[in-house]
Amino acid sequence: MKQLKWLGPFYYSLLALFLYLPILFLILFSFNDSVVLTFPLKGFTIRWYQQLLQTPELLAAFRNTLWVAVTSSFFATLLGAMAAIAISRYTFWGKRLFSSVATFPIVIPYLVLGVALLLFFNAIGIPLNLWTVGIGHVVINLPYAMLIIGARLAGFSANLEEASMDLGETYWGTLRRVTIPIIMPSLIAAFLSSFSTSFDEFALTFFLTGTKTTLPIYLYSQLRFPQRLPLAITVAAVVIVISSLLLILSEWLRHWGEKAYKA
Amino acid sequence: MKLTSVFHLAVVFTLLALMLSACGGAADGEFVILEWAGYESEAYWEPYAEQYPDQPPSYSFFGDDAEAFAKAQSGFEFSVIHPCSSWWQLYVENGLVQPIDTSRLSNFDNLYPDLVALGNFNGQQYFLPWDWGYESMLVRSDLVPEMPTAWADLWDPQYAGHVSIFDSSEVAYVVAALTLDIDPYNASDADSEAIKQKLLELKPNLLNYWVDYTELSQMLAQGDIWIGANAWSDSYAILLDEGVEVEYLQPEEGRLGWVCGFGISANTTGASLDKAYAYLDAVLDTQSMANFGNEYYYGVASEEATKLLDPYIIELMDLEDPVAALNNTFFYQTISEDQRVVIEQIWTEVKAGQ
Amino acid sequence: MEKKRRVITLLSIPSIWLLLFFVLPFTIMLLFSIRETTFSPIFPPTLSHYIEFLTTPVYLRLLLSSAWIAFVTAVITILLAYPLAYYLIFHGGKHRLALLSFLILPAWTSYLLRVLAWKVILGSNGIINTFLLSLGLIDEGMPIFLYSQSAVIITLVYVWIPYAALPIFSTLERIDIKLIEASQDLGASPLRTFLRVTLPLSTPGLVSAFFFVFIPSLGEWVTPSLVGGADGIMYGNLVQTQFLRGLNWPMGTVMSTVLLLIVSVFTMLFNRHVTMKEMSALA
Repeated sequence: MKQLKWLGPFYYSLLALFLYLPILFLILFSFNDSVVLTFPLKGFTIRWYQQLLQTPELLAAFRNTLWVAVTSSFFATLLGAMAAIAISRYTFWGKRLFSSVATFPIVIPYLVLGVALLLFFNAIGIPLNLWTVGIGHVVINLPYAMLIIGARLAGFSANLEEASMDLGETYWGTLRRVTIPIIMPSLIAAFLSSFSTSFDEFALTFFLTGTKTTLPIYLYSQLRFPQRLPLAITVAAVVIVISSLLLILSEWLRHWGEKAYKA
Repeated sequence: MKLTSVFHLAVVFTLLALMLSACGGAADGEFVILEWAGYESEAYWEPYAEQYPDQPPSYSFFGDDAEAFAKAQSGFEFSVIHPCSSWWQLYVENGLVQPIDTSRLSNFDNLYPDLVALGNFNGQQYFLPWDWGYESMLVRSDLVPEMPTAWADLWDPQYAGHVSIFDSSEVAYVVAALTLDIDPYNASDADSEAIKQKLLELKPNLLNYWVDYTELSQMLAQGDIWIGANAWSDSYAILLDEGVEVEYLQPEEGRLGWVCGFGISANTTGASLDKAYAYLDAVLDTQSMANFGNEYYYGVASEEATKLLDPYIIELMDLEDPVAALNNTFFYQTISEDQRVVIEQIWTEVKAGQ
Repeated sequence: MEKKRRVITLLSIPSIWLLLFFVLPFTIMLLFSIRETTFSPIFPPTLSHYIEFLTTPVYLRLLLSSAWIAFVTAVITILLAYPLAYYLIFHGGKHRLALLSFLILPAWTSYLLRVLAWKVILGSNGIINTFLLSLGLIDEGMPIFLYSQSAVIITLVYVWIPYAALPIFSTLERIDIKLIEASQDLGASPLRTFLRVTLPLSTPGLVSAFFFVFIPSLGEWVTPSLVGGADGIMYGNLVQTQFLRGLNWPMGTVMSTVLLLIVSVFTMLFNRHVTMKEMSALA
């Protein structure tokens, strides 16, 4: 296998290119002096970025989106982990029913779920706001979190947990000291996946949001007006650049921290 | 944490309930407008801002009439809403809007009577027209082998694979009806069947059905399609501005026209109702309407406001004689629930049929 | 008793959550399926929409074709995502999670805009066409890969690869490298090691990746309407239409319920299958 060492990085780069290509184009067009995305390019401009700064609603929408995404992903991961642990570690009455029902929310078109939740919130008199959006996002992300965390728990034997308890640790202590560290990568993965879904969710959010706007709602409704397209892609460009930088920064900090610790 | 776990649960849920109730966004008495995103600019309601300087309206946005109706129908609480004419009847029939006392609106008399009539149901005024526009074919004149001249030319095989139409049952139905010389609003079952067959015949000519409007301009600009059907005038203006060679047809069967306008929610009372009237009067103000028309390249519902439009827009939209322009345009009529269900069924079968 | 209490504690919040914010709302929705029309009262209830569903060939045909599309999408996605996860786990070093996250970041850009960008790249006037034109391979620009059923599959695969890699990644990660080394020390070829050790141990990840892709693709409606062309619509588009323009919530509900039934059959089957697999792996 040694002679194929280049294959992995090559494959990774290919996928990265495939995934990032459209984004590079969006960034390119965000500096293009034209409201339609076509070649040849018209000329360099930063006016879309200036327009961006003059649109305070966008900033508010961005804040709202971030808040919903972080909060709902946290709860989705937490609830998903609890459910996954219960399912993979215990047998109980209704287990199969539970795991089925828990996967249902991802098969129902989000639009239908949105209408259903809106009817429900109205029936019990809960006013719409970002919390209702967050609740909806937890419902749709819970199954994904369960799937990711469950996949890691499945198979990894319960021996470690039992050993820990034999050594006198309580069950909840074992969860904290043994189980959670083991499933940590899947917790992060579940959070990431939830966050990504939440960040770009439109159909469900449309029905569950009150007068607070999230970024997808704002962007999608702007797309009804062709002249607003550049603004929309500029937002996309900013989001992707900032998030990539954050990712790189956090990775660098982590390693720097590890090195400092060793030294 | 053994026996206390139940207690913990209770705490979590109490907290949850508290958060939900404490952070109620749309609190009672809030003045909420269910509006197209982008139409919230204060330039369109300045008189309202003067009257209520510290109480700007809150907006909830939509980008599609069907979505707005579904949200309103599911019980979303709003004070004022801005749907388009073909949906108006549904709001009235389902008791979602209240009759408007037009004597409270100083700018009401400026509106075009023909458009006002579309908002009148059972002798009462439920909706006030505000913005309108054409729907026609936008054609890449440099790419087509021959310029089309009528809606019927959408079926011409020389454009095969280079046509896109709006993914809207109503629009497709009306266009097909026009080419068959059928009145879409009084179609018999046989007529509907003929329309369905006609639409099935269109499929080989289609590249796709466009969904979001940006996509249509985009496909035209790239040359993926030569004919964009049921394009609005703003797209024409924008593509011209970008130097794309396009022509906005005046089809033999006539251009289609849409009109949208404001209604007041049936649940709006008291202070909110006063605000609703103040807001409506503010948007109907001549200058507000003109500001809007100049920004979006759409027509506005009063002759006075039309006169204030940019001369370029007047030329672009053939509005030198606005009343004649309106008379030459075939406006979408409001349709009942039953009609909508039939039309939608046809469209579904067309799209799914092979 | 102790175990029972643990299960109750672990499950209570997720169950209540699902009950309150999914089962209950959906039950309200289900009541629509027995109404004559969206706005008519529940009484007298009617089964006409269920009957209509079963007797309308278009619906069943689209359901089948959508299931096929979702299945193909899931299989291709897993085939592409597995090597990615494998590479990252066994050769990705310290940065592997960051490398995977890096591939997920594009999902934070509006999906609609990413598809729009692809249309620019693949469109008549796009990079690829210009290149082919200059080579004289084609004499007229035309959209490539767009507006067809295959375009729907390609686009869905594009969306799901990094997500499908997540569960595979986290199962592979727990595989003890010593097992693999042991197998190789015992003289097994790399391929044999992979087939006998690595692959079976990563089954749970594969299964959950399959669900991850298959289930949401089954109800997909955005992608077909963006790139599906004139014949590319899927079952999800029907559901969406019934709810929005069609004003036919009863039919939309019936159609969603059918989706639920299919998925529940699937999950039940898979649950059983996975448990058996695990047992055989242990044995």
